[in-house]
Amino acid sequence: MSATIALGQRSLREALRQPDALFMTLFIPIFFLVVNTGQAADIFPSESTGFLEGQGYGAFQLPITLLLAASFGMAALFLVEEIEGGYFDKLRAMPIPRYSIVLGRLAAESLKGIVLSSVIILIALPFGITIASGPLGFLLIVGLSALWGVVYAAFMQLIALKTRSAAATNSGGLIFFPLLFLTPNFVPRELLTEPMEVAATLNPVTYLMEALRSLILVDLDWGQILPGFAVVAVLGAVALVLNIRMIRNYD
Amino acid sequence: MNDNGAPAIRAEGLVKHYSGREGTVEAVRGVDLEIPSGEIFGFLGPNGAGKSTTVRMLTTLLSITAGRAEVAGVDVARDPDEARRRIGVAFQEAGLDPRQTGRELLVLHGRLFGLGADQAKGRAQQLLALVELEDAADRRIKGYSGGMERRLDLAAALVHEPDVLFLDEPTTGLDPASRLTVWEELRRINGQGTTVFLTTQYLEEADQLCDRLAIIDDGRIVREGTPDQLKSDLRERRGGEEPTLDDVFLDATGRTRERAAGEVQEVVA
Repeated sequence: MSATIALGQRSLREALRQPDALFMTLFIPIFFLVVNTGQAADIFPSESTGFLEGQGYGAFQLPITLLLAASFGMAALFLVEEIEGGYFDKLRAMPIPRYSIVLGRLAAESLKGIVLSSVIILIALPFGITIASGPLGFLLIVGLSALWGVVYAAFMQLIALKTRSAAATNSGGLIFFPLLFLTPNFVPRELLTEPMEVAATLNPVTYLMEALRSLILVDLDWGQILPGFAVVAVLGAVALVLNIRMIRNYD
Repeated sequence: MNDNGAPAIRAEGLVKHYSGREGTVEAVRGVDLEIPSGEIFGFLGPNGAGKSTTVRMLTTLLSITAGRAEVAGVDVARDPDEARRRIGVAFQEAGLDPRQTGRELLVLHGRLFGLGADQAKGRAQQLLALVELEDAADRRIKGYSGGMERRLDLAAALVHEPDVLFLDEPTTGLDPASRLTVWEELRRINGQGTTVFLTTQYLEEADQLCDRLAIIDDGRIVREGTPDQLKSDLRERRGGEEPTLDDVFLDATGRTRERAAGEVQEVVA
């Protein structure tokens, strides 16, 4: 455990020393929030659009902004850089549990996710977006977004460990990225065309998005919230087991 | 011998096979080694001969296909964590974390080897003084020169005062002055009782530093002995002028000077 904490602290220092990367993690999702809201707000006026629950279209867009920010984690890229540079082998040659090498990075990613999600919500509040589920809802939104960041980073780390190549890890991100958009990110699922509705229903990210959206637009609706947490729990468990297995068998 | 009376390194029939799309590659085909404590042992061979693969097996980084290896009396396959506590490693490229400072890296290594926070800080300070990096201690490693990186790498390998230090081509790419500094460091570390296992392509380096050496070719050890023994064996067999270690290497690997060009470099520091 102490090795995981020490390596997690190092990963946090590493992230803080890449302010340009942190800035882009914040800037790009907020840019999409502004652009998407600007383009569609007039189509969906709050007064006559039931699914907005009285809020502006920005509130409807906030979940994809949070998920996007959480999906910009650098853990896998730093990991593959270390594999290519040889420092990864230094760590493997130490008497520490091998899982601490990957878990340290994921622990740092979760803290980063908490801070980034909080900052995004705080930026959104002055623009009329409110959290209908109150302070508890705020904590759940931040927690769920951060957990998604960990899950995403864990899957990216699998690619890094498997391919040991920065180029392949970067490309791997492009495989997962469309999952964020095969979701009801512009309108609720029931308003999607049939093929898109089927795709969104099969896509686990949809349930995360719907959980986040319900926390922002309506009160604590556990029927919407729990499937979101179930998705991160299941995907997180799978990703963690695979990460630990892969680093233990790394040769 | 170590506290437990075992040699610093012992390998018996060490074999490594890699399976790939083009079939099985036999990288190491039965290496036997016995290296007493306190030696500087040189491990030479052309590119692709199996040097790094052998080192990676001895340092627990690579699984062993067949045979067994012990470092400081600890079986590296059965008890890898205990073996890791006894060894320090510095590889071909000084693989360091460029975003940390030299001090942060050494403190982290200290903590990962089980030192308390204050102990780790103290040990880092000691090592920074030892490798003369105190002035650069709080600068990010990204800005270090190649020589500084190698010295820090060496310091990082010594954080836990290992019994055996493995160095895989520690001076490759260094200028002559930096190379001499590393040599001095190695002699000093060895003088304190640490066994040094060194792979190198620089025959002059092996001749200057090593008490004994082995030459590996095509996954098998083809010569072993002190540099003087190996040279005198060759002189006895061939007669003529006093052979150099280059001649021993070329004789052992069946290479001509022309063929070896690009595989082996000679340096005079």
